[in-house]
Amino acid sequence: MAKGSSETVLGKSVRIRGRISGEGDLVVQGSLEGDVVLRGDFTLDEGAEAQSTITANDVTVAGTLEGGIQAEGEVTVTASGKFRGDVRAAQVAIEDGAVFAGRLDAEFDLPAELTEGASKRR
Amino acid sequence: MASTVIGAGITIEGEVTTDDDVVVQGTIRGKLQAKEGLVVESGAVIEADVVAGPIRIAGQVTGNLTSSDRVDLANGARVIGNVKAARITIADGAQFKGNVDMDV
Repeated sequence: MAKGSSETVLGKSVRIRGRISGEGDLVVQGSLEGDVVLRGDFTLDEGAEAQSTITANDVTVAGTLEGGIQAEGEVTVTASGKFRGDVRAAQVAIEDGAVFAGRLDAEFDLPAELTEGASKRR
Repeated sequence: MASTVIGAGITIEGEVTTDDDVVVQGTIRGKLQAKEGLVVESGAVIEADVVAGPIRIAGQVTGNLTSSDRVDLANGARVIGNVKAARITIADGAQFKGNVDMDV
């Protein structure tokens, strides 16, 4: 965690209906209905549920998320994670056991050898 | 440490409900309902009606406070709204505008 930024933990019994925005890392252990716009990392813990569009730096889904993810950094859906929706991120990791239904839009440049191979084939 | 901490950089606009303790360092607009204790730290901003167990305020609150136990307004607190609780303390240096209902 970067100095000066804060961490927010929303415990197991917390239910939020509304919009969350701001700076710092956010960990959701309860339930969330509403969009999140964050300059920081977002984590949906195991057992947590969210119906949200998440805009954040790194996003980790270990709970159940329905909605969308737009990440500056890496998106990880862990073995316990269930995700339904669209993901747009620089890097995406889906672990063995994770449930994923939706569209994946990872922005990256193809390695040089692949782009060369493609141009040779043409 | 409370299981729920709403950090200084965070703004929640909507309805927050919990059965546990809550510490607020950031901003909440809407509605806040906690079964256990609520601590609003210095620098925090609440623009919401609040229902909770014991409430301790050192930040800024605009809205009505209802506690099943007690309300403590600490030095530096700024509260505009009505307070309903069996016990209330207002520390030297706390600002308060509103009615107090101690249910007598």
